[in-house]
Amino acid sequence: MKVLATYNIKGGVGKTATAVNLAYEAASRGNRVLVWDLDPQGAATFYFRIRPKVKGGGKAIVSGRRDLDEVIKASDYDNLDVVPADFSMRNLDLMIEGSKKPLATLRRVLRSVAKEYDLVFLDCPPSISLASESVFRAADALLVPVIPTTLSIRTFEQLDRFVEENPEVVKDLDVIGFFSMVDRRKRLHRELLVELRAARPDLLDELIPAVTDVERMGVHRQPVTAFSPGSRAARSYAALWDEISARL
Amino acid sequence: MSEVRRFVVTPTDDPAAVLVRLADELSLRAASSTVVERTFLDTADGRLDAAGVVLELRHPVDGSGSASLVWTEDGRTVATHQLALPEAPRFVADLPAWPAADRLAGLMEMRALVPGPTITTRLTVLAALDREEKTTARVVVDTSVLRNGDDLPMLVELHELRGYGREADRLEKRLRAALVLEPFTGSVAAAARAASGAPAFLPSKLRLALHPTAPAAEAWRTVLRALTDTMTANFAGTIADTDSEFLHDFRVAVRRTRSVLQEGRKVLPPERRDEFRAGFKWLGDITTPQRDADVHLLDYPGLLASVPAERAAALEPLRELLVERQRECHGQLVADLRSMRRAQLGRDWAEFLAGDGAWPADDGGEPGSDAPDSLRPAVVVAAERIHKAHTRLVRDGRTIDDGSEPVALHDLRKDAKRLRYLLECFGSLFPASDVATAVKPLKALQDTLGTFQDTEVQAHALEDMAVQLVERGAPAATLLALGAVIEGVHARGAAARVEFAQRFAAFDSHTVTKAYERLSEDAEELS
Repeated sequence: MKVLATYNIKGGVGKTATAVNLAYEAASRGNRVLVWDLDPQGAATFYFRIRPKVKGGGKAIVSGRRDLDEVIKASDYDNLDVVPADFSMRNLDLMIEGSKKPLATLRRVLRSVAKEYDLVFLDCPPSISLASESVFRAADALLVPVIPTTLSIRTFEQLDRFVEENPEVVKDLDVIGFFSMVDRRKRLHRELLVELRAARPDLLDELIPAVTDVERMGVHRQPVTAFSPGSRAARSYAALWDEISARL
Repeated sequence: MSEVRRFVVTPTDDPAAVLVRLADELSLRAASSTVVERTFLDTADGRLDAAGVVLELRHPVDGSGSASLVWTEDGRTVATHQLALPEAPRFVADLPAWPAADRLAGLMEMRALVPGPTITTRLTVLAALDREEKTTARVVVDTSVLRNGDDLPMLVELHELRGYGREADRLEKRLRAALVLEPFTGSVAAAARAASGAPAFLPSKLRLALHPTAPAAEAWRTVLRALTDTMTANFAGTIADTDSEFLHDFRVAVRRTRSVLQEGRKVLPPERRDEFRAGFKWLGDITTPQRDADVHLLDYPGLLASVPAERAAALEPLRELLVERQRECHGQLVADLRSMRRAQLGRDWAEFLAGDGAWPADDGGEPGSDAPDSLRPAVVVAAERIHKAHTRLVRDGRTIDDGSEPVALHDLRKDAKRLRYLLECFGSLFPASDVATAVKPLKALQDTLGTFQDTEVQAHALEDMAVQLVERGAPAATLLALGAVIEGVHARGAAARVEFAQRFAAFDSHTVTKAYERLSEDAEELS
């Protein structure tokens, strides 16, 4: 089982759309996939039309009183299941802090479903906190969407610094950055794309365009490939998954 | 994982139509209705069926969309793959890059997938939705007909989605109120096979139920007929070279037949026995070149893995030579199997096996008059043969030490095979657990002896091929890589040689001797 976390310190960069669409793409290729919506806002849960409620709240899972597999819900799609969001997850930091080995908490919780899934996508809230560090320890790779704007790039650099300065936390974590919400009509986006590609050759080739199909996920409450399979966005997520799966 | 509850529906009415009519009442929404042609795929010996796996090639009947390969288990979809061309995969290498494809590969091994029955199915899917319009369960109505127009049992599947068990329970209750449902535990593929009269899967093992007190001649006839059935069942696949296992199983049946004939001294009339021993030796011999060529090809991936990755590509000329040689051998085998000599052997053999009881004497005298064991109880005669074969194996094995020539181990392998075939062919005369106890240590010994001989044969064959490759002007890199391969083969052989002493000691133990003595005691008790 590989654990991938869609993560960025900054919000509104396309983390949830990435988790939902890549999970759908991976599942449609025969992988057994679980999405765990760690964001109390519950956007991934909303896209899958699932009630944002976990029996006993997030604390029951984090404390080990309830196994993760007891709260998993099937999505409408083959091979794709979801651990829904729960509003109590806003206190994830506190829950983790109270456990014996805070950093190892999420890794321990996920161990119970290791045989059932090939891939787990953790959709993370935007922050850098104890919960994020537990995500870093649980994940094999961070999928980091980067909007080609100055602010977004600054937060990517912050993440880089954290990874560099905290090897005991991140261990073998692979940080996979890619451009998200790219609008080629904007001169700044075009310029920053060129500049950043030169500075960061490890960024993935495929980029996710800023298109209305991605925004319409909220209307359809489906992954973009499910309601618009031939669309540019669907093709981009498929190509992005090709790159990521090859790297895994 | 989500589970599927499957039912056969008594067709008082079209269940799909009933459900569509009741959709509102049952909170169901029609999701799709498609007509697809489905061809079920399995190996000739039904390995997927035995593991509960259904693999099918699906085409939309109206030509819309592409064909797909669908893998299900207990009605649950494990994986699907859209095919660019509507061609079924044949071998493991042709399977889609499914994450779980290794499991299918493990089941199939070297066997080819062959198409089974084809059916046409209307699949009507209805979804149970909650207030968020989230699917909480699916109902799939499967109405299938065979190509000849015969109906298959109508199925209703309730797909319970994980985390929505209560919703599925409620829906099942309401479905049961609307339709007459009986649980269904089989597979559509198996139902289609049964209804279409498709030939049974080839059995992988000899399954016999011999009577201990019946005359030996009757037991020998039964075994020889079963072996003939195996040869017949594998004949067409051998000629077509569908996969290497048809010839392998054909050869095993020939070898067993030869062994049963050998052990039939005093059970069969001597002259006829000699005639058929010669006939089946010829039949076995003509299959050897292709089997050797098949084994080289089957072993090729392992040989590749035995050299460093950067040298593997240099072995391509060897692979080409192996393929070429296999084709030549196959052409010769087909000619031999279609020869008058083979046909005459088949006719004479069928005539010899016809009838019951002891065979008439060679001079036309009373049945059994020149075969004194033919009317003795089968279990007693078989036990005597097993005792003799075991004694010989132990005696010969004890003469082998570290300085023995390889030929001594090759001869011992023949002794071991003789004993194994006796146990396999006549094992049903004895209590199954006693036979299993005797076979297990023998199998371990045979594995070691087999590895030793196979590596000897393989190393010599590869050395011959090296000469051929030189004649063909193969590059030096190929010859160097082949040298490394041959070295690896010798190393495996040497390891088996070292292992032999330990394996034989385990076989030549008090416990194993007791297990074989137990078979003789069984014979006394059963007769």
